[in-house]
Amino acid sequence: MAEPATQDPNARPPRSAEALGLDVDHPRPDAAVLAVSGELDTLTAPELDAALRELVAAPHALLVVDLSGVTFLASSGLAVLIQAAHRAEDSDRPLHLVVTARAVRRPLEITGSDQLFTLHADLATALGH
Amino acid sequence: MSDLDSPSVPDLDGASSVEVRTSASPALIPTIRAVASDLAARADFDLDAISDLRMAVDEACATLVDIAAARSSLLCTFLVRPDRIEVHAVVETGNADVKVSTDTFGWRVLQTLADDVAVDHAASADDSGSTVGIKLTKHAGDLPR
Repeated sequence: MAEPATQDPNARPPRSAEALGLDVDHPRPDAAVLAVSGELDTLTAPELDAALRELVAAPHALLVVDLSGVTFLASSGLAVLIQAAHRAEDSDRPLHLVVTARAVRRPLEITGSDQLFTLHADLATALGH
Repeated sequence: MSDLDSPSVPDLDGASSVEVRTSASPALIPTIRAVASDLAARADFDLDAISDLRMAVDEACATLVDIAAARSSLLCTFLVRPDRIEVHAVVETGNADVKVSTDTFGWRVLQTLADDVAVDHAASADDSGSTVGIKLTKHAGDLPR
């Protein structure tokens, strides 16, 4: 995987692999939420893939991927999201995405892959509040 | 045709030129796409076009870095024209048989994002290796499709 971050105290925070945030939460017993933050590209897509495989393997009825914190989405990141949607579909569960930023909405729309997910403008809506 | 070792900047017809040369490493692509995004924003591209160019440059560079020779470099040239940005990304490959795969999901995305995209393969003059490049153009606003 990626090189360890430099220890230079003056260095800017790394913006690639090291910075990808992946947090799982269960706001309800039947819901699993994976909150992703950072840039989804060829460097970070494998990490996302692993986290999505775990999410879809969970028994929860409602699967949500919160992409509010994602600032860049490349085809490599999109590809693992699409694969996860297909795996979730195999167990009759749609994959819910929380999409707020243009950097995420634009690639989904321009590739037509927004049709593969259930999109929400915020997490509360995704959870049905 | 582009030459990785060419020190000269071609005649630009009033366009501004920016060249970024990095090691051909995925870890440096975020830097190149940030340059693309910055140039598009300064050239008053609309927000979707900025986003598209950033993704297209990322896609082109990721495709090329994947087939680049070990310890080689990636050269990305941006020509900023009044209504569009032309990008030419080039890497050195170990041999002339290395080609860009155009039957991938990433390539289809790249074709969707850019207004025009093409691959160019070139053998170097001294036969020491070859280069593979991707040229793409993005207009400042959405073209009618």
